[in-house]
Amino acid sequence: MSGPEASIEPEAVEPAADSTEHEDNVPISQGDIVNLTDDAMHAISAGAGPALPSAQRRNPLRDPGDRRLPRVPEPCALVVFGVTGDLARKKLLPAIYDLANRGLLPADFVLLGFARRDWGDGDFESLAKEAAKEHARTDWSEEVWSRLSGDIKFVPGSFDDDEAFDELASTLDELRNSHGIKGNAAFYLSIPPSMFPTVLKQMERTKMADNSASGGWRRVVVEKPFGHDLESAIELNRLVDDVFTAQDVFRIDHYLGKETVQNLMALRFANQLFEPVWNANYVDSVQITMAEDVGIGGRAGFYDATGAARDVLQNHLLQLLALTAMEEPVEFTADAIRTEKLKVLRAITLPLDLAAYAVRGQYDQGWLAGERVAAYRAEKDVPADSKTESYAAVRLGIDTRRWAGVPFYLRTGKRLPRRVTEIAVLFKKAPHLPFSHTDTEELGHNQLVIRVQPDEGVTLKFGSKVPGSMMEVRDVAMDFLYGEAFTESSPEAYERLILDVMLGDATLFPRNEEVESSWRVIDPLEDFWAGQQPELYRAGEWGPKGADNMLARDGRQWRRP
Amino acid sequence: MTTLWDTTGTAVVQALAAERRTGGAVTSGLALTLVVVLEEKDTNDVTAAVATAAARHPMRVIMVLRHNIDAPVPRLDAEVSIGGRHGPGEAVVLRMFGRLALHAESVTLPLLAPDAPVVAWWYSETPKLIANDPLGVFADRRITNVIRDSDPAASLQQRATDYAPGDTDLTWTVITPWRAALASAFDTASSPARSLTVHGNPADPSAQLLAGWLSSRLGIYVPVEKAEGKYISSVTLEFEDGRNVAMTNEGYKLLMRRPGQMDTIQPFPKRTTGDMLAEELKRLDADQPYGEALGAVSGQTGLNQRPAVRTHIWHDPALAAREG
Repeated sequence: MSGPEASIEPEAVEPAADSTEHEDNVPISQGDIVNLTDDAMHAISAGAGPALPSAQRRNPLRDPGDRRLPRVPEPCALVVFGVTGDLARKKLLPAIYDLANRGLLPADFVLLGFARRDWGDGDFESLAKEAAKEHARTDWSEEVWSRLSGDIKFVPGSFDDDEAFDELASTLDELRNSHGIKGNAAFYLSIPPSMFPTVLKQMERTKMADNSASGGWRRVVVEKPFGHDLESAIELNRLVDDVFTAQDVFRIDHYLGKETVQNLMALRFANQLFEPVWNANYVDSVQITMAEDVGIGGRAGFYDATGAARDVLQNHLLQLLALTAMEEPVEFTADAIRTEKLKVLRAITLPLDLAAYAVRGQYDQGWLAGERVAAYRAEKDVPADSKTESYAAVRLGIDTRRWAGVPFYLRTGKRLPRRVTEIAVLFKKAPHLPFSHTDTEELGHNQLVIRVQPDEGVTLKFGSKVPGSMMEVRDVAMDFLYGEAFTESSPEAYERLILDVMLGDATLFPRNEEVESSWRVIDPLEDFWAGQQPELYRAGEWGPKGADNMLARDGRQWRRP
Repeated sequence: MTTLWDTTGTAVVQALAAERRTGGAVTSGLALTLVVVLEEKDTNDVTAAVATAAARHPMRVIMVLRHNIDAPVPRLDAEVSIGGRHGPGEAVVLRMFGRLALHAESVTLPLLAPDAPVVAWWYSETPKLIANDPLGVFADRRITNVIRDSDPAASLQQRATDYAPGDTDLTWTVITPWRAALASAFDTASSPARSLTVHGNPADPSAQLLAGWLSSRLGIYVPVEKAEGKYISSVTLEFEDGRNVAMTNEGYKLLMRRPGQMDTIQPFPKRTTGDMLAEELKRLDADQPYGEALGAVSGQTGLNQRPAVRTHIWHDPALAAREG
């Protein structure tokens, strides 16, 4: 065998002269440093880390170009109120273990539980261990746990007990020295909203929420529901924002912690392909669906007073709508993104004919996934004459130049055939088709579908020729499965969000004005629905007939997710 | 799995296409092609590592085993599988005999996933000049592993001499947990560092790279002082305000000791070669901090300013042996 075996000289390697990159940290060989003059030494250390006051000192070991180093929060404490509750056990504690296991917790970290139990540190620790072991996403490691368990503390007490809060405050002070947490603390309110005022007042009284008194940062994490109407939301926001400063309040909407939702922004703003058609000129309509196959479970008390619109539409669906419809933020920062989202939320319009375009439903008994399931009204603790909806669908408009005239159909429901959340952008049909009518009968709208869960990913649906001698066009789907192409097996949303709270990154948390704007959309709907009987639908069906008619009226139909 | 004896590159391409068709759902969304250069004795280790990495990055793996170059007749044996012991992706194992081994690219080029980045990984013996191996020339990213060479420290120096942006070495990947812990320690520092020392084996490339990284970032000379252990046993830091920190590796745990504060222990996750390979495949652009650290280790400058593209330099081991 003979090849082109001619000898090629290695090219002379010369450093590019004009490179300005990494100017401030030119590699220095060990030999050189010994001979450096004082001036040169000064220049180097100035480049690597100028002598700033301690708080703003740039860490010379952190380099934006160094993408292997994980973001690890500053030393801090995480104080959880209601730590014995369901959410804390199923999501919060496992997420903290997962973070520890991935090495993303700071070396100086304390988890402080507060609840009305007569417990010592040990009891709480064993509860936390059980919870973490059962629900953690990552592998269980006794090593990691033993390290974490040393940093778990428990303070017993009820929320109206001044003494308990004094003890909590003094415990935090002690930990500052013993555990080096530097006065940094995040308070997670995993408690019913009715308790908020009591707890917040206590924090105000003990100055636990005060950034300057603590000498570090103090942040608060609030779970939905953020009020039950505009008025209560404003009141709640005022209360929380008064005790803490507005930028220290983190409202968790766990949907925004999902990888796909963040990918929506990458899809829209990092690509040239989609932006030109992302407007009323090309988009026919948008359908946003969040369907659940489960019923209300044990949450009857909460759910019957809330209903699907307040539970899901007000937060998750309107946030998804805002991310889908917002303009490009001027930069990828929390403030810029939240500003754009707020603009969209403010531009939302309700249909004039609410009777035709706002539909409520309630599931009746039926069969779902091969099992017989009870009607909503037959669920435990639900009144037999309940008028609460378990399904809501509405047509919204957005009064902006980009979206004028494009209907946004939002729907959510329980006991629907399967659990799925997706955003479907349906494009207009081609204005003219050179094919004969019969050739394109099977051709629908081109669609771009963002699947939020399950099977996180993106689908593009378009027409393609059916192989064969006839010209026949039908829809085919091109699939991008998130789990397949970038499977850094997606962290649980809570993991990401808790980490963001500790890092102080508010990008994925809605701001108070967003919550208020959302209630401005929901309140008129609730007023209209008040006293009305929701339409029944059989469990295991895609919602009530009224919802289908709503789209049929516009000459459209729901996409089957 | 399809096994082909004494075959041609074209037959391998066809076998891969056939495997994809019969696999039912055609694997889509390949993010990259990984070309691994290995020796027969390493097959098991590499297979395990590749399977771990493939679970996190959908990829096509091409394993190249070069056998006795002086065999009189060139020959190619191949194995094609999808979703087998090499992980969920596509895998092609190529065994090349005789002069064909010097022209491995003629078989691998048509097998690369279209327009996806190519990563080359030398599991054992790093070529002295990567440009000598055509597989390294068309790769966008090149991963070496000097710890498996006979003289790792000399090999690391040679990596600096031969460096082009896009090269990395697994002895660098190994120290990511160390670097993360050190960066965290600096997050809370209120004054600049006065001195740092890496304790461990001064001849260990990882210890050298850690010291090199620290000196390149901090602008102070960071020595590697001999201590017990084969690799890095501890790092000590002193800040200008007199504070000092000692970090000690206690076998999958990192003990951080600071006077006046409680000792803390952080997990130092146990990482397999597969985990490290997966970390490498996460980013397919040049790793500038590595270039800087390597520059500091070797005393060479401007590593990151070198051209990223290499030109193949013909090197015939048979010829070299005859002359040498």
